[in-house]
Amino acid sequence: MHHSSPRAFLLVAAASIALLLAGCEGDAGSSSANPAVSGLSVAARLGEQIFRDTALSASGRQSCATCHVRDFAFASDPTAAGPDRGLPVAVGGPAMTRTGFRNTPSIMYLAFAPTFAVDADGTPNGGFFRDGRAGTLAEQAIAPFLSAIEMANSDSAAVAARLSARPYFGDFVALYGSDVLADADVTLGRIGEALAAYEREDPEFRPFSSKFDAWRNGRVALSERELRGLALFNNPAKGNCAACHPSASADGVTPALFTDFSYDNLGVPRNGAIPANAPYPPDGTPLNGDDGLRPYYDLGLCGPFRDDGGRDRGALCGQFKVPSLRNVALTAPYFHNGRFATLREVLAFYVRRDTAPAEWYPVADGAVVLKFDDLPARYGGRFTVLADAPGSDAGYAGNVNTAEIPYNRRLGETPALDADDIDDVVAFLCTLTDGFDASTPAPQSLPPQCADPPVPAAAARIVTP
Amino acid sequence: MNHRPLTGLLLFLLLGGALPARAADAGLADTERRLEQRIDRLQEELDALRVELRALKGDASAVVAAAPPKPAAPPVPPAPQDAAPLAGASADLSLWGYGEAYYMRPTRIGASTEFDLARAVFGIGYRFDDRTVFNSEFEVEHAVSSAGDRGEVEVEQFFIDHQLADWAGVKAGLFLMPFGLLNEHHEPTNFYGVQRNFVETLIIPSTWREGGVALHGATTSGWRWDAGLTTGLNLQGWEANPEDPLYRTAYELGGGDAAPFQAMHQELQFARAQNLSQYLSLGYTGVPGLLAGAAVFTGKTALPAQPPGLPDVRATLWEAHARWTRGAADLSAVYARGTLSNTAAYNLANPGSSNPLPAAFLGYYLQGAYTVWQNDRYRLAPFVRVERYDLGASYDGIAPGFATVPVGLAADGKPWPQPRDRVWTAGANFYLNPHVVLKADYQHFSENPDLTRVDLGLGLSF
Repeated sequence: MHHSSPRAFLLVAAASIALLLAGCEGDAGSSSANPAVSGLSVAARLGEQIFRDTALSASGRQSCATCHVRDFAFASDPTAAGPDRGLPVAVGGPAMTRTGFRNTPSIMYLAFAPTFAVDADGTPNGGFFRDGRAGTLAEQAIAPFLSAIEMANSDSAAVAARLSARPYFGDFVALYGSDVLADADVTLGRIGEALAAYEREDPEFRPFSSKFDAWRNGRVALSERELRGLALFNNPAKGNCAACHPSASADGVTPALFTDFSYDNLGVPRNGAIPANAPYPPDGTPLNGDDGLRPYYDLGLCGPFRDDGGRDRGALCGQFKVPSLRNVALTAPYFHNGRFATLREVLAFYVRRDTAPAEWYPVADGAVVLKFDDLPARYGGRFTVLADAPGSDAGYAGNVNTAEIPYNRRLGETPALDADDIDDVVAFLCTLTDGFDASTPAPQSLPPQCADPPVPAAAARIVTP
Repeated sequence: MNHRPLTGLLLFLLLGGALPARAADAGLADTERRLEQRIDRLQEELDALRVELRALKGDASAVVAAAPPKPAAPPVPPAPQDAAPLAGASADLSLWGYGEAYYMRPTRIGASTEFDLARAVFGIGYRFDDRTVFNSEFEVEHAVSSAGDRGEVEVEQFFIDHQLADWAGVKAGLFLMPFGLLNEHHEPTNFYGVQRNFVETLIIPSTWREGGVALHGATTSGWRWDAGLTTGLNLQGWEANPEDPLYRTAYELGGGDAAPFQAMHQELQFARAQNLSQYLSLGYTGVPGLLAGAAVFTGKTALPAQPPGLPDVRATLWEAHARWTRGAADLSAVYARGTLSNTAAYNLANPGSSNPLPAAFLGYYLQGAYTVWQNDRYRLAPFVRVERYDLGASYDGIAPGFATVPVGLAADGKPWPQPRDRVWTAGANFYLNPHVVLKADYQHFSENPDLTRVDLGLGLSF
């Protein structure tokens, strides 16, 4: 009956201007690569705005998107020009001068993670953050707002106050009601729900668009090298990677996620490039070292960031969550402490950690290797072996996993994978990079470590203290 | 007038419908031993009827005394009141049960010795009328079943059987598949050896049942037939790439995770049923002492959504069996072979995996038993059996440079087990009576010597 009236046109125009302003204010970074046409819910669209809004941080310069960068599979940009200025941990805080404790993980495919649980055997599984301390995606999403080393709001009231000045505040109130404003904790909780909705709904976080997926869907063939890499990845007597990073669907419905959401202690070497690992850590570091040797250890499931209220978690000390390997070629550096810069180095560490420990750990007097140097001795860390004396590594009984292939070997034994095998597995891991288009003849743009044939080992940059 | 219901029941029992719920047993009691069992049961039923008769005549005390259930197999002829049915129970209701416990000692790995109440099964049947019966069996495996335990509670049978004519009936529900010598007659008193043989565990799944509908019947000349439309396999049940070997003992092998049909049958638990399978089974008992038969099953396997685009996988299983009993001798043989089509696509999607999907698998055995001693209801029957199973007779789509079994040592420091073996079993069944059996055997594995074991068993059936 009514044709579009001038009034309606004005409303649309005003809303468009408001959206444009929202996009400019607070330096939301590069404009959304996911236009508003998406089928996202109102909560998810709100979540996307919050995700990119630096004005919700004390510094005014940090949002979720600052550290979770789209081009790096929503992990951090590790280059010197990136937000971490080349450090393996995030930089943040009220003046953007504080440094974090862990390498920023990718948040892609995170919505598939189950909530944290410990089964009857005491085996932990699921959860969010590298130590699983957040039970849900929403709970994880709000933690950086209050973290002193990240967005550094003093409390939830400070976040709520900043939110109330944002152009999308009206949308927030319209969605969640004004009642939620009465309690800043509830307000913050709703922010988490909006962020979680965004991470759950936006296909950018779970495109399943890798060459591996195209191969599984019968649209492209894997190369001989990539197939051999997958076979080595799967084979329990070789890489045995699939034991924790399954390459097959867990439920027969969701494509393979390359994680079983379990936890493991790999004995990753200490990374001296993390400021908190220095002999005199920066202020604000939770000083938990009590062995007189190191003031601070990152012990994953048993702290210092996770607190399970006095439960004895000694056997879990040093365990970290198994991440998905989707897009792993984009998410360097690797492991919770960003100790390794390339996948080649990671794989070499897996298979030669025990056969040639002097490659990875501090060596004293040219022969005494201090294995598992980032774990206190009482948890099986600082295990000394003689590099030239096979048998000197017998009798290890600590927390580090030495039972599973490929890290069940002993000093001087043959590693489970040789250099060629490692190249093949890396080639396969590169097929897990999203954005492959089987219909385009141009090759997918991949990071240098995915070059085929592989670049010589000497060219690989290695992050070492 | 008072006697009419009893007369009817007596007539029914005498006309061969004894143990109304055991439709699966009907028509097969050709051996002397089975006749003995039947006579025992008839005797018990008669004892029960005698008690009922006395009650009807006003002897109330006998009914009160009859409250405890009858013992499974009393060593002496029971006093009438001991053999009475449950007070108030209908004559149309039948209860039965069986179970077995194993003590198993692997000869090379004493630390893996186990004692397990493998199964405790109770059956309930009801005869609605002369044409329609209901049968069910409920099983607890491994004694304790809960979220934190390894045991299971299962419905093993749950079906209606309706007689259409003298020569044909129809059954519908969850029923046992008429394959091999053991599947429909799996009570421990019915087989030699502490545990069921491997052919009828790994190739023909043990206690294999499917949901569906079937026609069946028997002729007076000794032929028996059974044909049906049932649920089938689900590929999702197959574990392509276990990190560790699926079994390290013969008992774990028998658990069946490495056996295609055992791993993929659905047991009517939200069974995917878009594709139904078909089977046909024929048996012949026309010659005294001889039982022979064969059966075939085929159907499309339900496929998971991932990996996508798998071609149809047709599962086919066929078997032939024979048993000959004469005097004290008891000889039997079974051959079974299964195939899965289009396994290459599945295996190519999982290159390097430790448990590729086989294209063919087979097994056979020969067994001889002899009753060397019998006294009253006691009976001792030693036996020897040689069998061959091959869970991976052929494979398609194996990645170049990779074997069907991982090369090298597993994380426990031992080689991976080979999916095939020749097993010699020697032992004896000692029956206290037809319902209670003590067993002992020694099983020698040629290709996987760590599986070699000594077993002791206790089984009962009533």
